[in-house]
Amino acid sequence: MLEIKCPYCGKRSQNEFSYGGDAKIKRPELGKEISDKEWDNFVYYRDNPKGKHSELWHHISGCRQWFKVSRDTASHEIFKTAKLDEDL
Amino acid sequence: MQKYSIFSLIKNSFSNHQNWEPAWRDPELKKEYDVVIVGGGGHGLATAYYLAKEHKITNVAILEKGWIGGGNVGRNTTILRSNYMWDANGLFYEYGMKLWENLSQELNYNVMYSPRGVINLAHSDAQLNVFARRGNSMRLNGIDAIMLSKEELITKIPFADFSNSARFPIFGALMQPKGGTARHDAVAWGYARGADNLGVDIIQHCEVTGFDVQNGKIIGVQTSRGNIKTKKIGLCVAGNTSLLASKLNMKLPIESHVLQACVSEPVKPFLDHVVTFGAGHFYCSQSDKGEMVMGGDLDGYNSYAQRGNLPTLQHVLSEGVAMFPNLSRLKMLRTWGGIMDMSMDGSPIIDKTHIEGVYLNCGWCYGGFKATPVSGWTFAYTIAQDHPHELNSKFRLNRFHTGHLIDEKGVGTKTWIG
Amino acid sequence: MSQTYRLNNVGYINRDKKISFKFNGKKYFGYKGDTLASALLANGVHLVGRSFKYHRPRGFVGAGVDEPNAKVQLYFKGADTEPNANATEVELVEGLIARSQNCWPSVSFDFGAINNLLNKFFPAGFYYKTFMWPKSFWYKIYEPIIRKAAGLGIAPLKPDPDKYEHKYEYCDVLVAGSGPSGLSSALAAAKNGARVILAEDKVRFGGSLLTDEVTIGNKKGKEWADEIISQLKSMPNVIVKNRSQVFGYYDHNMMVMCERTKDHIENPSEFTPRQKLWHIRAKEVIISTGSIERPLTFGNNDRPGIILASAAREYMKVYGVLVGKKPIIFTNNDSAYDTAIDFKKNGIDPIIVDTRNDSQSSVANEAKSLNISIKFFCAVVNTKGYLRLNSATIGKFNSDKSDYEKLENISCDCICVSGNWTPTVHLSSQSGNKLKFNETIDAFIPNQSKQNENTIGSAKGSFTLKESLEDGFKKGFELSNKITGKNEKSITPTSNEKNYGQHDKFWCMPLPKKKHYKRFVDFQNDVAVSDIELAVREGFKSIEHVKRYTTLGMATDQGKTSNLSGLQLVSDIEKKIIPEVGHTTFRPPYTPITIGAIVGREVGKHYRPTRKSPIHEWHEKNNAVFVDAGLWLRPRYYKKGNENLLEASTREARNVRKNVGVCDVTSLGKIDIKGADSAEFLNRVYTNAWMKLPIGKGRYGVMLREDGIVFDDGTTTRISENHFHMTTTTAQAANVLSHLEYYLQVVWPELDVNVVSATEQWAGAALAGPNSRKLLGKLFKNIDVSNEGIQFMGYKESDLFGVPARIFRISFSGELAYEINVESDYGIFMWKKIIELGKEMNIEPYGTEALSTLRIEMGHVAGSEIDGRVISSDLSLEGMLSKKKDFIGKRSLFREAFVNPNREKIVGVIPIDKKTMIPEGSHLVNDGNATLPNPKLGHVSASCWSVEYNNPFSLAILKDGKNKIGEKLYAVSPLKNKNIPVEIISSHYVDPKGERVRS
Repeated sequence: MLEIKCPYCGKRSQNEFSYGGDAKIKRPELGKEISDKEWDNFVYYRDNPKGKHSELWHHISGCRQWFKVSRDTASHEIFKTAKLDEDL
Repeated sequence: MQKYSIFSLIKNSFSNHQNWEPAWRDPELKKEYDVVIVGGGGHGLATAYYLAKEHKITNVAILEKGWIGGGNVGRNTTILRSNYMWDANGLFYEYGMKLWENLSQELNYNVMYSPRGVINLAHSDAQLNVFARRGNSMRLNGIDAIMLSKEELITKIPFADFSNSARFPIFGALMQPKGGTARHDAVAWGYARGADNLGVDIIQHCEVTGFDVQNGKIIGVQTSRGNIKTKKIGLCVAGNTSLLASKLNMKLPIESHVLQACVSEPVKPFLDHVVTFGAGHFYCSQSDKGEMVMGGDLDGYNSYAQRGNLPTLQHVLSEGVAMFPNLSRLKMLRTWGGIMDMSMDGSPIIDKTHIEGVYLNCGWCYGGFKATPVSGWTFAYTIAQDHPHELNSKFRLNRFHTGHLIDEKGVGTKTWIG
Repeated sequence: MSQTYRLNNVGYINRDKKISFKFNGKKYFGYKGDTLASALLANGVHLVGRSFKYHRPRGFVGAGVDEPNAKVQLYFKGADTEPNANATEVELVEGLIARSQNCWPSVSFDFGAINNLLNKFFPAGFYYKTFMWPKSFWYKIYEPIIRKAAGLGIAPLKPDPDKYEHKYEYCDVLVAGSGPSGLSSALAAAKNGARVILAEDKVRFGGSLLTDEVTIGNKKGKEWADEIISQLKSMPNVIVKNRSQVFGYYDHNMMVMCERTKDHIENPSEFTPRQKLWHIRAKEVIISTGSIERPLTFGNNDRPGIILASAAREYMKVYGVLVGKKPIIFTNNDSAYDTAIDFKKNGIDPIIVDTRNDSQSSVANEAKSLNISIKFFCAVVNTKGYLRLNSATIGKFNSDKSDYEKLENISCDCICVSGNWTPTVHLSSQSGNKLKFNETIDAFIPNQSKQNENTIGSAKGSFTLKESLEDGFKKGFELSNKITGKNEKSITPTSNEKNYGQHDKFWCMPLPKKKHYKRFVDFQNDVAVSDIELAVREGFKSIEHVKRYTTLGMATDQGKTSNLSGLQLVSDIEKKIIPEVGHTTFRPPYTPITIGAIVGREVGKHYRPTRKSPIHEWHEKNNAVFVDAGLWLRPRYYKKGNENLLEASTREARNVRKNVGVCDVTSLGKIDIKGADSAEFLNRVYTNAWMKLPIGKGRYGVMLREDGIVFDDGTTTRISENHFHMTTTTAQAANVLSHLEYYLQVVWPELDVNVVSATEQWAGAALAGPNSRKLLGKLFKNIDVSNEGIQFMGYKESDLFGVPARIFRISFSGELAYEINVESDYGIFMWKKIIELGKEMNIEPYGTEALSTLRIEMGHVAGSEIDGRVISSDLSLEGMLSKKKDFIGKRSLFREAFVNPNREKIVGVIPIDKKTMIPEGSHLVNDGNATLPNPKLGHVSASCWSVEYNNPFSLAILKDGKNKIGEKLYAVSPLKNKNIPVEIISSHYVDPKGERVRS
């Protein structure tokens, strides 16, 4: 069972969190003209590395804050967690 | 090929089984192949087999970084079915069911195809209606499906929780009578033996480290055992597709997630069907050995670790006990995890790519095992003919651009919610 | 029967408490402190079960978790039972009933043993080569026979009457295993101030100290262990647990342990849980799980009476039981000499058969000085005795040990075997530690730790007491000091032990010429040397292939005694070194764990939480029949007399259309939205425009996912300039909140908006029907309830007889309707007032079924249409797609598949005969009898009996639906054998202009 350090609440077991996927995805700005490819890339295409992965988690049964996690997808080791406006 | 039969078994018994030949050769890697299949799992082995058998392309190598059948074909819950709502899936998997029916005889290898019926339990009238939509769609596609009432279910699975103390009482079920199970390892080994017999080279412990692409065409593969020339490669590495695709500078609409399964200790037979729980995500059957084979949800975060964590298993088994309260007293013997290619609409991709000679077979989500024959069959066609067969014509990569998605579950791109 | 194999005055059992039990219908006696195995052995019973494949008679091999053979069926009070219980672990309690498994009619005469006679025809993987013709026979004939022959015990078919608890703990140091290294590390860590949990799987603490003749300080090993345990138990920072198996090492140092809390108690309270599952997050983990003895491999090495030397010794020293009176000790190392010495000391003359030339260790010399007969450079070649071993063939090796020079038969009643020791590395391996092979001990040991895992003692291959103690005290101090920093170091006591020499790497005895004795490697699954040879011959060379092809190590003991032998065999055949062959992966659980314990209390009604509205009890009292809506229970209809669902819901719906009805809508998701940018946020979330929504007005909205698919719908009302009240569907309430939070926190943090769930803060009642305004006037006398006072989609705050209330003029039923919200605690007050004051207007409560009828005939969409696969235009909601602004998912709507003019559209469907209900889930086709596959044009999403027109009406999502109005098609449901001619009409069947809601 993963132990995740919520940047607001501290270390908690995985059961309190829900996953939010790739943290590097950036939603295109509203109203901005973008190519089909850029849009498809945003909606469907994913970085899917084996190793270090930046991802979002949501402290859903806690403070309900979204935050960033740097985690190894092969070993599940968590290197760092950070608030959304902080660097990972 | 040494033929397998009751007679050859008896004959060999008298020589104390000293004269059995290897099921497949251990060939040297050649310098050049017409087609290189990356990945010696079920799909890769089946693809090579059908390339040789249906398309007479026999100068084929299967490159496997570990041992054949070590990926998801050896780590699943062995369920076969074609109980899909969308035509693209239903017709594809139903063709697969036809291949399953004759597979043991075709391969001369007993894959233990057991059409014991797949039962999807429903826990409300609304759910029964959703199942009816799918079941009717199946019937109109010529796929077998029946509705079971609660009373009929009591005769089939009397140990399920039909009591008033059930949190989500059972209302009825959709059943595909021809659905069932097969012996997973045997499928890999049967195809391997069949492909080898037709001249395909199965190269184990050979990892693909890179690709040679020139002017938009594939010309070769780099491996841990040297470079090979080839004009066509097929990727059959579900779970790791993104990693290999990245070596071709391709990004895919796929995430890798771990799915756990487990078995109980073996007990005498009491469950004669495959049963799924409708008020959660749990499926269960009893293997011929007597073990209860159980699975459910993804662990829920990107992972390449072939191991999972306990909370998911607890969640899944709580669903199991909600369905069959007697499971509580059995003991969990073994757990394992497999890496799933979770595609963004839950359906597979069998297609050409923008690189000439590079073909993709991926995105199988939880459902790759049952697809093994038809995936191999259609992928072999796609590689040989350089265009998809009608059966996989909807499983193309460009659907993520056109919007022609095939979403059975309606959950969209949050693959981990699956 | 008397306990003829019981020694006097030896062991740690309680001889004052005699216990009776039944095995295979026969009554026996044992003592408190016995296991079922030790009690049976005390009575001279070795034959305990039959093997999996060949149904060969089998006896006890081990004395603990490693036992491959002695799996029994237990029967408890009442009807429940447990299959595959390990007799070596089952504690004896008064009245215990056990039976042998996998045999019929009895364990001593089993028809299944015909498989043994035919075993020549059943080598590894034989089933892959046959049973293929005729095709249908596999499923119909062969498979049922194989299934019946396989399996072990019998599963209970009734629900488990027992309870299982879950517990969560945190500690500084978890120590798994209470042998010398475990005890010393636990003590050192505890004395240095660390919070320690010490877990022991067995009943008794001490591990090898229970049997070994050693001294620590000036005490005997066992006394020292007892003293440390009582010391640890007295410390407030230590939890000491026996009967507790740490079975899983999960990510981030999460250790999971299963504690047995009930089955060993004679008269447990009804509240005693059967087992407890401990989730322990440990800062540091010390694995001191010891090692397991390996058997030797020789002809017919599986007969009842052939047992591990260490197990024989444990039975003698812990339980005072002799496993035989004419023992042969067969070994390739020195540790089994201890067993021989203990036999001798208890008046039994053993014979030692040793594969080595000689041994000069202190323990061997002690045996020699006791005049124990030792046959060096010899092996047990074969054994005899069907139901119980009675003799062994001993052979003198030729010079290269490939054959024998001389064979002799020796009568015996047990053979105690030892093929050296395998460290129990399972937990280390589970933690991610990639094991390495140690040539000295011929086994795998832990390598580099991947988590805070520390393996010590014989679990890492150090087999001397001195090392275990030193390592234990050192590790216990170091690890605890990292955490506590107290620097309180304990002194390692001195110790005395025998010395043991090098083992013989020879473990698989050759067969004499022309003999084909079965030499078993995996006892439970009947995997013999010849099977592994066959697998390799056939190309299954990877150890994983060998395992899967032969089923080696896949039995319930998970190969604890067999895996390494299998590995060695493959490496011998393939002429590879073992590290190259590799090992199969260790996964949790270390031993089989009861599924009930894994699940805990989430069973029965508590499988998932049940959410009830504050009005629930009223519904119950008024004959509501409930329906599950997600986790909520909602009244589906209120039953009057003998009404069925359709009759009741039709009555309720009619009353809404005619008079007034009230529906509990508490379960609808409610989200409170506040902040200066709230309107802007809604504008981005919903497809329609929100900037100009006046205060005191609500609006219907649809939200999409980024892929353009409709996500949810609902109304949102502007309470004040910067305050909105959003409603969602019951099903999507939680997902919508997460969705909003995601966009606010991750995508648009610059927006000044806060959202919070208010679902449980408000109880909601919907008043619907022509009389609803009149009733509203009675409920709220202080406000103007006229059409102008509260306009359609209007909002007012008022008080309901002193209770603050919110009034929304919204309608799902299509009638003039209002929704009243009050704080949850006043929900029942509100409801009763509505019923009381509505009486004169013929008010009736209505449930979800009537609600459904009302919305269907109005053509309002709900969950059965918004199924995660449709876009706005499919639901005729394209008018709500703003052209002026961007919103979530808009960009996806311009894709090829979504702009197709022939896309699906929601339509109404009526049967031509105006009588036949169209089953939901039917499909629309041109020709109901066309050949298959029959192309589908659409599907029927919802059906009702229209109370307005008194005939069936359905909604359907139909390809090119807007151009098909007026066409005749067929609604088919092959599942229900229905083929119904239908006409396609507008989805707005009742009041298409929406006049009633505005009236």
